[in-house]
Amino acid sequence: MSASQIALTWAVTFAAILSFRTLPLLLLRGRSLSPRVGEALGLIPAAAFAGLVANDLLDPSAIARDPLAAASGLVAAVIVAIVARRTKSLVLCAAVGMLAYALLGLLA
Amino acid sequence: MASKEGGNGTVGRRLAYVFPHALPVVLAYLVIGIPCGVLEAQIGFGPLLALAFSSTFYTGAGQFMLPQMVLAGMPLPTTIASIVLVSSRQLLYSAGLAPYLGKGSRLDAFALAATVTDESFGVNLDRFAGDAGWDVRDGLLLNLLCMSAWALANAAGVLVGGMVSLPTALMSFGMTSIFVCLLLGQLHDGSTYVAALVSALLVLVCKLADLQGAAVLLGAAGGVVCGLAWQAWGRSGGIRS
Repeated sequence: MSASQIALTWAVTFAAILSFRTLPLLLLRGRSLSPRVGEALGLIPAAAFAGLVANDLLDPSAIARDPLAAASGLVAAVIVAIVARRTKSLVLCAAVGMLAYALLGLLA
Repeated sequence: MASKEGGNGTVGRRLAYVFPHALPVVLAYLVIGIPCGVLEAQIGFGPLLALAFSSTFYTGAGQFMLPQMVLAGMPLPTTIASIVLVSSRQLLYSAGLAPYLGKGSRLDAFALAATVTDESFGVNLDRFAGDAGWDVRDGLLLNLLCMSAWALANAAGVLVGGMVSLPTALMSFGMTSIFVCLLLGQLHDGSTYVAALVSALLVLVCKLADLQGAAVLLGAAGGVVCGLAWQAWGRSGGIRS
């Protein structure tokens, strides 16, 4: 990429990302919100985390290409969920998840 | 775990308080950031540019997309639009954190929002919801620790080039595992289960419809709507939420 292309990409994407990150806060902070809006905001974490997990684990093209490898990711995620329920430890979940993923990947 | 004596702890005490919570993400970023830097080197980035870019751009998926799309010969407007679209999920993070950022200065709240991304959003939300002592400056420090790790790893990746081979898929699953743990912590009633399930299904539908860029945003939005509908149904005498 040329310097001008890098600069253009940086400027446009940074402006957009900064807007995404801050506008909702600027609009919502300090305001007394209706109960419905409060409930909607309270549901965002569950919906967002589930979306992020699904985004990582559910790839139709990867599933079609290698169902066994895709399934090993899902199985590893279930193992992580069990550990998460018992321990609530991010570090332990990450460690167990990677171990399970590696071992299941060898089997797949 | 270190305490920080409420909101007036010294920087050192605050760092000791925050760092253990940032550590899982910092470690993951240090590994995943390096291959990102390797890719950036292929499109002309130097280590200082990678450092500055990663400190401002700071969106993992989007930052990986840039060199990949450039190397694939995609037109620049298409590349920029794709990165903006995949980054639109950041709207959710600011909205999700807004209820916790009312206290403290507006500048601190703005800085926290401006430096948040997927993983630091998750950890911050977890701390704000479960730790009465966690304040906006703790959240900002956590964000800055994570961002610094990401930026340094990108710069290191540019420097090492293709000399180092890292199991990125494995480290990436480490981050997925972190999200699974954070998700489980948010599932406490019927509406949250509905929101999560619908979100996941919609992400799959979006991917099948070749809408990968907006999948997380659309999925989460749909999940929130369905979760609200479940709550309304519960209030009207349907299944308890």
